[in-house]
Amino acid sequence: MNLAAAFFYLFSAIMIASAFIVIVARNPVHSVLFLILAFVNAAGLFMIAGAEFLAMILIVVYVGAVAVLFLFVVMMLDVDFAELKEGFLQYLPIGSLIGIGVLIELLLIVGAWAVAPSSPGASPTAVAADISNTAALGQILYTKYFYLFQAAGLVLLTAMIGAIVLTLRHKPDVRRQVIADQNARTPAEVTLRKVPSRAGLQG
Amino acid sequence: MTGLLADYLPLIVFIGVALFIATALLVVPFLVAFKSPDPEKLSAYECGFNAFDDARMKFDVRFYLVAILFIIFDLEVAFLFPWAITFGDLGWFGFWSMMVFLGVLTVGFVYEWRKGALEWD
Amino acid sequence: MAVGLTQYLVVAAILFTIGIAGIILNRKNIIVILMSVELILLSVNINFVAFSAYHSDLTGQVFALFVLTVAAAEAAIGLAVLVTYYRNRGSIAVEDINAMKG
Repeated sequence: MNLAAAFFYLFSAIMIASAFIVIVARNPVHSVLFLILAFVNAAGLFMIAGAEFLAMILIVVYVGAVAVLFLFVVMMLDVDFAELKEGFLQYLPIGSLIGIGVLIELLLIVGAWAVAPSSPGASPTAVAADISNTAALGQILYTKYFYLFQAAGLVLLTAMIGAIVLTLRHKPDVRRQVIADQNARTPAEVTLRKVPSRAGLQG
Repeated sequence: MTGLLADYLPLIVFIGVALFIATALLVVPFLVAFKSPDPEKLSAYECGFNAFDDARMKFDVRFYLVAILFIIFDLEVAFLFPWAITFGDLGWFGFWSMMVFLGVLTVGFVYEWRKGALEWD
Repeated sequence: MAVGLTQYLVVAAILFTIGIAGIILNRKNIIVILMSVELILLSVNINFVAFSAYHSDLTGQVFALFVLTVAAAEAAIGLAVLVTYYRNRGSIAVEDINAMKG
C-alpha cells in the first residue's frame, strides 16, 4: 500500500470517528472540538485529492472562524445541556433506522455507479499541469464563473446584514462620542464661563 | 501528484514531532512526578471560602457579532488569494469582477459602521 | 490519484449518513443540528472535490468553494437566529419554535 493511500485511510477513519462523536457527545463543547478535528482531517483528504487551496481555506474558514463561532454560542447560552440530551434514547431507534437506510441507498448508488471509460470526458476546464492549484482556480473563478462569484459576494452581504439586524441591540441611554460634531464646533458655539473660586458652577 | 504530496511531507513530520512532544509532556509527569495527595491540598483555595459559583462565565453576546463580521471578511480575503496570484493574467474583466465583489462587501461594511456594530456599547 | 473515486464516495456517503442521523438523534439540541448540517455540507464538498480530481475538471473545486461560502453564511445566520431566540425565550428548545409562525 502506498503512502497516499495509507494517509487517505488514516484521515477518513479519524474524520468519520470524530463526526460520530460530534453527534453523540453529551457536552456540546466536545462536539465543537471534534467538529474541528473532522474538518482538519477533511482538509487532509482534500490535499490528497490535489485540492490544495480548498484544504487551506477549509482550515482557515472552518477551524479559524466557524468553529469559533459555534464555541462562542455554546458558551454564551447558559443552557442545561443534559436536559436537551433527554430525547436522545427516544429517537435512537428511528434515527439509526433512517441513518442505515440512507447509508444503504448511498452505497447502492456508489456500487451501481460504473465508470464508463468511453464516456466523453466532460472537461471544460482541465487542470493545467504546470501551474499551482490556487492559480488554476484564480484563472477561472473571476471570469468564467463571474455570476457565481458575485452571488457569493451577495450571500456574504446578506449574512453580514442579517447578523447585524438580528443580534445588534444598543443600550438605550449610552452617550457616545461623536467625533464629527466635536471637530465641527466653532468658537462661536462654545460658551466660556468664569468659575468663581470655591463656589462651583451653578446650573 | 506525488510531487504535490511530497511537498507536504515536512508538514506531516512536523505534526508527528508536535504530537510526540505533547504526548510525552502529558505522560511523563504521571510517571516521574512526586505525588502525595491530601484532601486539603486538592481542594479549591479561595481565601477561606468555598467557591461561590461556576468559574465558567457566560460570554457577552457582543463577542458573537464581532466573530460573525470576522467570518465574512475572512471569506472575502479567501477569495482574494487566487485573484492576487493570477492578477497578471486576468485582464480588466477579472479586475473589475473583483472590484464589484469588494464594492458589494464595502456596502455591508459601511452599513455596519453606520449602525454602530463596531462600537462596544 | 492513489485512491480511487469509489473510496472517496463511500467516505462521503458515511459522513452524510452521520449528519442525517445527527439531525434526527439530537432533535432537541439545535446547536448540534447546525453542526450536523455542517457535516452534511462537508460530505457534499468531499464529493465535489473527488469528482473534480477524478475528471481533472476544476469546476468541482470552484463549486466546493461556493458551497463553503454558503455554509459559513448559513452558520452565521443560523446562530444569529438562535441567539435572538434565546434572548426572547430564555431557552433553545426547538419544539417551541413553531410558536413563531403566523
